[in-house]
Amino acid sequence: MPPVLRSLAFLALPLSVIAAEEVRYNRDIRPILSENCFSCHGPDEKSRKAKLRLDLPADALKEHKSGIPIVPGDLKKSEVWARITSGDEDDVMPPPKSHLKLSADDKAKVKAWLEQGAKYEDHWAFIPPRRPALPADLRGSPIDAFVDQGLRRSGLKANGEADRATLLRRVSLDLTGLAPSAEELDAFLKDASPDAYEKQVDRLLASPHFGERMALDWLDAARYADTNGFSIDGGRHLWLWRDWVIQAFNDNKPYDRFLLEQLAGDLVPNATDAQLIATGFQRNNMNTHEGGTIPAENLLNYNADRLKTLGEAVLGLTLACAQCHDHKFDPISQKDYYQLYAYFNTLGDAGLDGNGGNNSGPAVAKKTVLRTDEEGRLQARIAALRRTLATRDDAVLAAWIQEQRAWLADRTKGTRLHPINLTKISTPNSGGGFTVEGNTFKGLGGAAYDLLGELPKTTEPIVALRLVFQPKMTPGGKPAPKKGAAKDAKVAAEPPAAPAPVAYQVSAVDVTVDKVPGDQVNIHKLQKFSRVTASSVDAAHPPGNVRAMNARLAWQPDLKAAGDQSLTLTFVKPISAAETPSITTQVYFGTGRPPLQGQLFAVTGHDDGTDLPQDIIALVQTPEGSRTPEQTAQLWDYVARTGEALRRTRVDLANAEERLAALTQPQSTMVMNIAAKPRETFILNRGDYSQPTTKVGPGTPAALPPLPAGAPANRLGLAQWAVMKENPLTARVAVNRLWKTLFGSGLVASAADFGLQGEWPSHPELLDWLAVEFMESGWDFKRLTRTIVTSATYKRGSAASAEMLAQDPANRLLARGARFRLPAELIRDNALRASGLLVPQLGGPSVNPYSPFDLWREVSHYGSTPATAQNFVQDHGDKLYRRSLYTYWKRTAPPANMVAFDAPNREVCTVTRGNTTTPLQALVTLNDVQFAEAARVLAARILGRAGDDEARLRWAFREVVSRDPSDKELAVARRALARERQRYAADPARATAALQVGEAPLAALPAPEHAAWMQVGALLLNLSETVTRN
Amino acid sequence: MDPRAEFSNHLTRRTFLGQTARGVGGLALGTMLMPELLGAGKAGTERVAGLPGLPHFAPKAKRVLCLFQSGGLSHVDLFDHKPMLKQMAGKDLPPSIKGTQRLTGMTSGQGSYPCTPAIKDGKLCGKNGLWISDLLPHLQTVADELCFIKSLHTEAINHDPAITFLNTGNQQPGYASMGAWASYGLGTENANLPAFVAMVSQGTGKNPGQPVFSRLWGSGFLPSSHQGVGLRPGANPVLYLQNPPTVDGEQRRALLDDLAQLNEERAKEIGDPETITRIKAYEMAFRMQTSVPDLTDISQESRETLAAYGPEVTRPGSYAANCLLARRLLERDVRFVQLFHRGWDQHIALSRQLPNQCRDIDQPTAALIKDLKARGMLEDTLVVFATEFGRTAFSQGGFGNPGAGRDHHGRSFTVWLAGGGVKPGFEFGATDEFGYNIAKDPVHLRDLHATILHCLGIDHERFTFKFRGLNVKLTGVEEAHVVKGVLA
Repeated sequence: MPPVLRSLAFLALPLSVIAAEEVRYNRDIRPILSENCFSCHGPDEKSRKAKLRLDLPADALKEHKSGIPIVPGDLKKSEVWARITSGDEDDVMPPPKSHLKLSADDKAKVKAWLEQGAKYEDHWAFIPPRRPALPADLRGSPIDAFVDQGLRRSGLKANGEADRATLLRRVSLDLTGLAPSAEELDAFLKDASPDAYEKQVDRLLASPHFGERMALDWLDAARYADTNGFSIDGGRHLWLWRDWVIQAFNDNKPYDRFLLEQLAGDLVPNATDAQLIATGFQRNNMNTHEGGTIPAENLLNYNADRLKTLGEAVLGLTLACAQCHDHKFDPISQKDYYQLYAYFNTLGDAGLDGNGGNNSGPAVAKKTVLRTDEEGRLQARIAALRRTLATRDDAVLAAWIQEQRAWLADRTKGTRLHPINLTKISTPNSGGGFTVEGNTFKGLGGAAYDLLGELPKTTEPIVALRLVFQPKMTPGGKPAPKKGAAKDAKVAAEPPAAPAPVAYQVSAVDVTVDKVPGDQVNIHKLQKFSRVTASSVDAAHPPGNVRAMNARLAWQPDLKAAGDQSLTLTFVKPISAAETPSITTQVYFGTGRPPLQGQLFAVTGHDDGTDLPQDIIALVQTPEGSRTPEQTAQLWDYVARTGEALRRTRVDLANAEERLAALTQPQSTMVMNIAAKPRETFILNRGDYSQPTTKVGPGTPAALPPLPAGAPANRLGLAQWAVMKENPLTARVAVNRLWKTLFGSGLVASAADFGLQGEWPSHPELLDWLAVEFMESGWDFKRLTRTIVTSATYKRGSAASAEMLAQDPANRLLARGARFRLPAELIRDNALRASGLLVPQLGGPSVNPYSPFDLWREVSHYGSTPATAQNFVQDHGDKLYRRSLYTYWKRTAPPANMVAFDAPNREVCTVTRGNTTTPLQALVTLNDVQFAEAARVLAARILGRAGDDEARLRWAFREVVSRDPSDKELAVARRALARERQRYAADPARATAALQVGEAPLAALPAPEHAAWMQVGALLLNLSETVTRN
Repeated sequence: MDPRAEFSNHLTRRTFLGQTARGVGGLALGTMLMPELLGAGKAGTERVAGLPGLPHFAPKAKRVLCLFQSGGLSHVDLFDHKPMLKQMAGKDLPPSIKGTQRLTGMTSGQGSYPCTPAIKDGKLCGKNGLWISDLLPHLQTVADELCFIKSLHTEAINHDPAITFLNTGNQQPGYASMGAWASYGLGTENANLPAFVAMVSQGTGKNPGQPVFSRLWGSGFLPSSHQGVGLRPGANPVLYLQNPPTVDGEQRRALLDDLAQLNEERAKEIGDPETITRIKAYEMAFRMQTSVPDLTDISQESRETLAAYGPEVTRPGSYAANCLLARRLLERDVRFVQLFHRGWDQHIALSRQLPNQCRDIDQPTAALIKDLKARGMLEDTLVVFATEFGRTAFSQGGFGNPGAGRDHHGRSFTVWLAGGGVKPGFEFGATDEFGYNIAKDPVHLRDLHATILHCLGIDHERFTFKFRGLNVKLTGVEEAHVVKGVLA
C-alpha cells in the first residue's frame, strides 16, 4: 500500500475532528497500538515481551509485574500511559531501539481513549458486515448518503456532476477500458432522455470489453503470466484460464461461483471442463526446472505463493507473515497457516517441471470457454485468404520470375570462397570434445556452437557466410542432450556409444563482426540476412526457416543428397574484412540435431547457391509460353508459399488459422487436482522445508468463523468457507477492489490487507452496505458495478479546488470525482482505438507486438535450453494490434512499454499498482513504434473525414479525448498543423520517410499532408488528458 | 517516519521529478522549465530530493557502483587461497569440514568430494599482501584499494533464490533491489539521467550464463520510478530514446511546446496538478535525449583511457565498455550504477571457462578503480564487487577431469568493496583451511546490505517502507549489523 493512502486515514480524521465525538478503538487506537506495540505485545508468542498482550483486553486489564497496563478511565493508574510518556530511556515505550515513536496526536488519542474508558472493539474486518441503517429521508443512492455524511462532518462542499462528455468517457474507460468514439459521444450528447446515462451504462456492461477491463485487475491479483518465472523462465500456456476469467465477467458469473470454481472447480461434483480450466487460478504461481534446486523446497515456495495469493486477493489477509512464525499483528497462528497450506499441498505437481514449453503438471487439453461469434467469419476469411493465395496473379508471378532469374544469373558471378580461420569453438554446457583447425570445427553436440574466426584478408566486400557440413555424423558423435537445465549438472563424460548417422538441422545462425575478437556473438550488433540458401533442402525444412529465429523451425538438408551440404547466408550489408577482421558465428540447432563437423567460408562475389528447389529452378528458366498449365500452377504454388509479395496474406492466413484453432481445438492448460498419493503437511519450523514438526490436516484460521456445516476437508470446503455469508472478509475485499478500479483507491486503501495493520475504511458503513448488497443480490457483479457508477458520488466533477487539495489532497472523502492516470494497458489500447488499428478480438494465445530490442535474449538462456520464450520474435498482422492484456508476459523481461507505466512483472500477487509519472513514459508515447504508427494511422483516419481543417481537428479531439477543443486549443493545433505542412511541403522526401513506421499498410495519401497530420496525431496521443481518466 | 511527513514527501516524489506539482502550477511555460525550481544539482542539472531526514548521518559515499558477477564466482580459485587444498588435492574433503548441510541436487549424489586446489597460482599483492590469483593480473595491481570480505554467507544454494537474495534482500520475488532503495531514499543529484542504471553483459566463460531477471534491478513494492533503467548500446541506449524516423530535435521541440501549451490550458481549466508534473516529465525526457547520447559518446575519451580499459572497451555491450560507461555515469552523479556480468557458473570445464571469464573482467575492473581514483571519485564512490555465492572446494565431477568444475557454495565466499567508506588494502573475516566454512567474523548478506547503506549515510533499521502491514527493510526481518570492521 502506498504510504500516501495509508497516512490519509489519519489525515482525514485528526484529533481536532474526532474531539467532538468518542474516540473509537478500531478507527483511532488500534492503528497506533498495532504499529507501535503489537509486534512485542501482540499475537506472536515467540517475540512477546514481558508476557504482555495489549491486543487482548483480558490481558491488558489485568495485573502484571510492573502494574496494570490499562485501567479504564484512570490515566494515572494505567502503566501504559506512564510508559508512553516516560522520559527515562529504559522505561519509555516503544523502546528507542525500535525506532518507533508516538506522535503528539497519537498520544492525545490514547489519552482520550483511556480517559473515555478504554473500550476495546473486535477488529472490524473480522466481524461479518451487517446492513447499516439508512437515513429515513434517503433520496438517491445510499452510496451518496454515506459519502455525504462524511462530507458534512468535514465541512467540505462536494462538486456537482461532471459534464456529460466527461461522464461518458469516464464510465466507458472504467467499464470497458476504451474511451468512446466520436460517434458514440455525439449520440450520447444528443440523447435527451432522462435515463440516457443509465442506457450507456447498460450498453457498456453488456459489451464484451467489460470482461477484459475487469479481468485486468484480477490477472494482476492472480499473477497471471505466460512464463514460468524462476530461473530460465520458459514459456507456459495458461491463457485458457485468462479467457475463462474474461468470459466469467461477461457472463456475470456470481462472484461466489467465480471464486469457488477457481479454488476448487475440479472438486465440484460432475465438474465441467470450464470448471477445471478455472482452477488454473492457483497454477499461476511461478515454477522452475532449474537444475540443482531441491524439489521439496520448490514445492514449498509454490504453495506459499498460493497462500499469499489466497490471502491478498481473496481474503485481504497477509497470510504470508505466518509462514515462519505466528502472525505478529493478526490472529493467524503458524498452525493456522499450515492448515490452510494443507488444502493446496494435496496437488499432484512436481518440484521440477515445465521445461521445453510444456506445461508443468497437472495439465489438460481442453477447448476454450470463450464464446465469440467469429467462427463463421473466420472460416470465410480463411477461405478467402486461401483463394487469394491460390489465385494466380500474373504480374506478381512475372516479377518474381524476373527476380529469380536475376539471382540465378548472378549466381556464378565471381563467386569465391575464402576459408575463415577458426580460432575457437565453445558451447555453454559441455566441458570438452571440441576442436577447431583451420576453418574446420568439430563438436560433440550441444544446443549451439559459438565459433570465433578471422576473416580472410580480402579487399573485396564479403557478401555472405557459408557453413559447410560433413555428410555424416562423426563416429562416436551423439545427438544434443535434450534435458534442458538439468544438463547443468552433467559433466562431459566418456565418449558415448556410436549412434546411427542422423540428419542434422540448423535452426538459427547469428553473426557479428568486430574490430576485436569475441568468443560470442554480440546481440547488440547481429548481422541481418537478405537471403539464405542451401545446397540441398528437405521439403519440410527450407533454409529460410533459419531466419525465423524459432527453435522449432530449422533447415535440414535433403536426406538423399550425397556429400557435403552447405548453408549460405547473404548479408544485407556486405562486410569489410579490413574494418572488422573478426567474425563470430553462433550456429543454433534448436530442437534439431547438431551436425558434428563443418567448415566456415567467407563468400565474395555472389552466393552461388539458391534457395529454390531444383524443379522450380527448371521452371523459372523455362521460357515464357513454354510452360504447361500444370507447370505454371506449380510455380505459382511456390510463389504463394514463399514469395515476399504474398507474405502479408500468409501472415493473415496463419493468424486466422491459429485463431480458429484457439477457438475450436483443445489446448493445453494447467489445472489443480488431488494427487493419487497426496503429500502430508507439517508445520515447518521457521518456514523451512527441511524442518517439519507437527503434522496437520486442512483447516481454516481459528479466529475466523468455522467451516460451513458439511464442508468437505479439501479445497472445495475451503472454497465454500471463503464464499459463505458468515465470512467477514471475502465480500468486503471484492467490493473494495471494484471500488478501487472505479475510484483509483479503495474505501480500504490497503486493498490487500484488511488485518490489524490495514487501513481503517474511509467509509466503513458504505463498505458494509456494499458488501451486504453484493451478497444478498446473489454476488451479482454487474449489478454492483451499476449501483456504483450510477451514484452521484461516482459522477462528480473532478476539479480540485485549493480548499480540497489542502484539506483532502488524496480525495478520501470523495468530495470530487476521481482522476488518475490510466493503467499501462489502457494507454496503449486507446492509442490503437483512436487510430482504428485496434483488433478487438477476445482472448486466445498471447501475442508479441513491437519491442525495441530483444529484451528476452539479453537475460535468457537462449542457445542452451529447450525452454521456450528465450528470444523475442515479433508477431505480425492482427497480432500487433490486440488489446494489451493479451501481450505475452515474460516475467523476467515484461513488455517494456507496459512496465514504464507501472505494470507489474506478475511474479507475485499485485493488488495495487503504482501510479507514477516519469520521463520514460513520455519516451514511450512519443517514440514507441506502436504509438508513432498509431499517430500515422490516426492521421490517415482524420484525413479520411470530410470537412475543412477545423472540422477535422474537432472530430479528432472528440475521438481522442472525448470533447470539443476550445478556441485556444484549436488555434494551437492549427498552428502546429501549419508549421508541419510547411516543413513537409518543403521536403516531401522527408515526409515519405516520416511515414515509414510500423507495419500497417500506408494509406494512399499525399505524403506531406499525411506526415503533417501525423504530427498532429502524435500531439493528441500525448496529451495529458489522453492518458488520464478524469 | 511520521505519516504526514511521509505523505507530503510522497506527494512530492511520487514522480521521477521529485518536486511538488502544485509548486509550479502557476508557472508560465517557456521552451524549457526553470531548473532552479527543482533545486540545484551540479551545474546545469536538476536534483531529485530523497526522503526527508536522509541521509541519517554524513555519508562516506555519495554513490554506489556494483559490479555484480552473476553465476557464482569461485572464491577458491580467485581470492581465498588455501594451501591445504593442494596438500589434499584429490583426497576427499574431510567429513568434519564438509558437515551435513544440504548440497545442490547437482552434487548431493556424488560418491566422493575430492579437494581441488585453485587452478592457478596467485600472489600476495599490495602493501598488505592480499592474495589474488594470477588469473587477475590487473586486479593484483589495485590490491591496495580493495577491502575483501572473505566470510560472506547466504542460505541460498541455487541461482534464482541466491541472486534474488543478494540483489533484493530476499530469496523470493517481490522485493525492491538495492539500487531502487538507494534511489528511493536518496533521490539523485542529476535528474537528467535515471538515478539507478543497470547494464547487462554476457561473459565468455559460459555463454549463455545463468539467466538474470528484471526483478534484480526492479522496484518491487517501491514506486516503479525507482527501478533500474537499462542502458545498452545501439540507437536506443535507453529504450524508446530515439525519435521516430526523420523527427529531429527542432521538430520535437516544437511539438513539445505545443503539447505543453495544450496541457497547461487544460490543467488550468480542470484544476489538475498532475498534468503539470507530466509536462515536466516530457521536458525531462527531451533533455534525456541529449544527456544520454552525450553520456554514451566515448569519442572524447583519451587513447590512454581507452587503452587502460583494454581492447574490449570498443565492443559495445561488453563488460569493459560497461565499465567505462559506469565511470561516465558516476561522473554525472548517477546514484547507483550496477553491472551484471553473466557467465560465472563453472560447474564444468573450470580450467577452460574460468580464465576466459577472468579475462573479461580483469583489466576493465582494475582500470575502472584506477580511473575513479585518478579523478578523485573513488573517495566518495562505494564499489561493490559481488556475486551470489562462491564455489565448492571440492570438484564437481572427477578430480583431474578437464571437464570437471565446482558446485555452488553459499556457506562462505568472498566479495570486495572499495572506495567511499571502507578500509583500503584490507581483508575481513576468514574461512577454514579448506575455504569451506567460516572460521572468523561471519558476514551475512544482510550485513553486507546494512554496510552498503551505512556508507551512504543510512541506518538500515530506520530505512523502511510500509508494505502489507510491515515496515519492510532492505535487510529483511532478521537482525543485521553493519560490518564495522571494514569501515574506514
